[in-house]
Amino acid sequence: MTALPAKQGKTTARILLDWAAVITLLLCFVIFTLVKGRSFMSENNMINILRAMSITTVFGIAATVTMSTDGFDMSMCTLASCSAYVFVSMYLWYGLSLGMSIVVSILITLIMYQLTMFLILVCKIPDMLATAALMFVHQGLGQWYIGGGAVSTGMRLPNGNPPVRTTLSADFSAIGRAPWIIIITLVCVLLAYILLEHTRQGRYMYAIGGNREAARLSGINVKGYRYLAGMITAVFIAIGGIMVASRTSSAQVMNSDGYLMQSLAAVFVGRSVGGAEKPNAIGTLVGALLVSTLENGLTILAVPYYMLPAVKGGVLALALIAAYAGKKENN
Amino acid sequence: MDKITLGTRNVSVAFPGVKALSNVDFEISTGEIRALVGANGAGKSTLMKVLAGANPSYTGEVYENGQVVDIRTPLAAKRMGIQIVYQEVDTALIPTFTVAENVMLNETILHGRGMMNWHKINKQAREVLDRLQINVNVKTLVQNLSLAQKQMVLIARAIQSKCNFLLLDEPTAPLSDTETRELFMLVRHLRETENIAIVFISHRIGEVIQICDSYTVMRNGEIVDTTAITPETTSREIVEKMLGRSFSESFPKEETTIGDVVLEVDNLSGADGKVDGVSLHVRSGEIIGIAGLVGAGKSELCKTLFGAYKATGGSIRLHGKELRMKIPSHAVKNGLALVPEERRKEGVMVSENVAFNLSAASLRKHSVASFLNRPSINANAKRFVDDLGIVTPSITQVVKNLSGGNQQKVSVGKWLAADCSVYIFDEPTKGVDVGAKREIFHLINDIAKQGNAVIYASCENAEILSITDRVYVMFDGRVTAELVTKDTNEDEIMFYAVGSEHASA
Repeated sequence: MTALPAKQGKTTARILLDWAAVITLLLCFVIFTLVKGRSFMSENNMINILRAMSITTVFGIAATVTMSTDGFDMSMCTLASCSAYVFVSMYLWYGLSLGMSIVVSILITLIMYQLTMFLILVCKIPDMLATAALMFVHQGLGQWYIGGGAVSTGMRLPNGNPPVRTTLSADFSAIGRAPWIIIITLVCVLLAYILLEHTRQGRYMYAIGGNREAARLSGINVKGYRYLAGMITAVFIAIGGIMVASRTSSAQVMNSDGYLMQSLAAVFVGRSVGGAEKPNAIGTLVGALLVSTLENGLTILAVPYYMLPAVKGGVLALALIAAYAGKKENN
Repeated sequence: MDKITLGTRNVSVAFPGVKALSNVDFEISTGEIRALVGANGAGKSTLMKVLAGANPSYTGEVYENGQVVDIRTPLAAKRMGIQIVYQEVDTALIPTFTVAENVMLNETILHGRGMMNWHKINKQAREVLDRLQINVNVKTLVQNLSLAQKQMVLIARAIQSKCNFLLLDEPTAPLSDTETRELFMLVRHLRETENIAIVFISHRIGEVIQICDSYTVMRNGEIVDTTAITPETTSREIVEKMLGRSFSESFPKEETTIGDVVLEVDNLSGADGKVDGVSLHVRSGEIIGIAGLVGAGKSELCKTLFGAYKATGGSIRLHGKELRMKIPSHAVKNGLALVPEERRKEGVMVSENVAFNLSAASLRKHSVASFLNRPSINANAKRFVDDLGIVTPSITQVVKNLSGGNQQKVSVGKWLAADCSVYIFDEPTKGVDVGAKREIFHLINDIAKQGNAVIYASCENAEILSITDRVYVMFDGRVTAELVTKDTNEDEIMFYAVGSEHASA
């Protein structure tokens, strides 16, 4: 339902390029199925793909909301690591209920995001630079809180006290397993989709992203909505961090940091899906699905693990070339 | 020094729908400072662009010393020694480079080796600046210079290369009085020491008389007259030639009932000094004009009234209540609307569709809680597309695909949907054709008829005269005159717009 402009004389080539990411995705499915048959196209493996996709998608959704206002956050995954430290420590060290641990983790993430917003909106530092600096701040603060080591079962607190809980409940682990991890992800995508496409606030965010000055002169409170976008981003960041912690049954040091690039890749691939021309929730889902399908299929094809990044990067680059090549605006 | 002559014969330039230049014969020889004057849109900049090789689509001939030459690229013009300094100096400078690098930029690009010879670059730049008696440290970064100094750096760059013809496009518009004097000294110095002709575009007629040897007047893409400047030359004589006597476009003013004062502005200053102690008032049903030349501060005033530029002093009262606006969002909540000059950059969101643009300022009315009410948005769009006669295939058409006039209607329609009480129009007819202009005028008249207050800023005095009830004329950020439209004429407006002081008050 992204409002597709009824451009006259849209060429077949343009249509193909608009749907390049989806076509690539379908091609991957066809090729992997033809080559590997049931070992790829099985119910179990499809769930594998969806599960692998989940975390990338949630971080991608966080980035999508930021980018809808033409913002950018390089520090989202380092912040997610902090959310995970808080989440697991609340649960294990202090014995909070699972629900309360989640709530506290989201709240702390929101509080930490005030610093991001302060640097960007008050100090007016360009997003990219401010969040690059914040990556270090997050890493430092987070590790200071956990005392430099992981938060996992059987470990003592940094001050030597024993933890309140020594085991993780089934519910804790369920967050990181199918079907819940997939359900949570799809709910996140749906919420972001409704926010961006069907609410007034979402349209304002896109208006700001499309033309900040025109939005300002239309009477949109630009700073206010950039702040709101930041807060929503922070919630998705926390959810991502919690999912990572649950999946790894602990909060390992910097365990979310590595998701940044593939999440951004998912957003960039998704930007052009269906000719939307802006970061959008459904596109991000497609992008993340493409990334995880590739990874899964190539592994089944027994491509050595150390070759995976190169092949993955290559296919992503192709999808991006298809999406951005031949645009008049690019000069 | 041999005299070199550059000229055009029968040069015409056509833009879609407009003839920007028609059969222009222009000639200038080295050793001369020539003013090129004319109202906005008279074709001055277009002519300069032809000579600078920046307008390859001209027809007719350009000749140098009688020989026909082909200048279709900036490089060809530069090879012939034609250098141009555009008004927007920042587009031609690299702020993070030093003065020396910027002065020597052409040289470095054309003849540079693999390695930068810093010693040579600094030395040569120093020499050029000395020759021009410009006192700037060559190692300063250009971003730390004042506007006037940046302009001098550009002139130095032009002189550093082969330069027989220096075209200065409104060089003094952004300068202070002292800076202008410095520039004049430089220009005179150049004429005396180099084999050079200078073409000087300016709206400030006083300056023209002060510095130039002769002037050429352009109007509607044609050259009207070229005359030497003598001690007897007066501003009034030049202004009259600029205006001519033929006003073909007139639009009937429609009668409205004028009521109480809606907006009252007292001693307003702001926009980094570009609005300087402006006082004005608008009544309901009234259309007031803000006249003045480009750069007089009209746009800045409009944006300061709308909270888009910071006000540093004075007050704005709406229906007697003082407004404190930090951002445009506050202005909109108080019922102010601004249709800005830069339509595509500021007025509409070009990549969004018609329906969204028409509801952008009133989206709250078209949503339930936070959720968009699509049927309501679409009904709103259909209503204004019909009411304003916006020509679009559908309300889901992306605005960038509409014509200029239709984009402008969308930009206005957005505010009509928001039910404002004060409408500020900044150059609303810029870049729209005559037909659309008439419709926009009609629309503005209707807005006034419904009891709203309208502020209409334009540098087209003919428009001001045909649509407004009263006019405030601006010069250098100040209001130099308040005139009643039916008792004034273009000459009088132009008289105050070029900064002439009120003689009898």
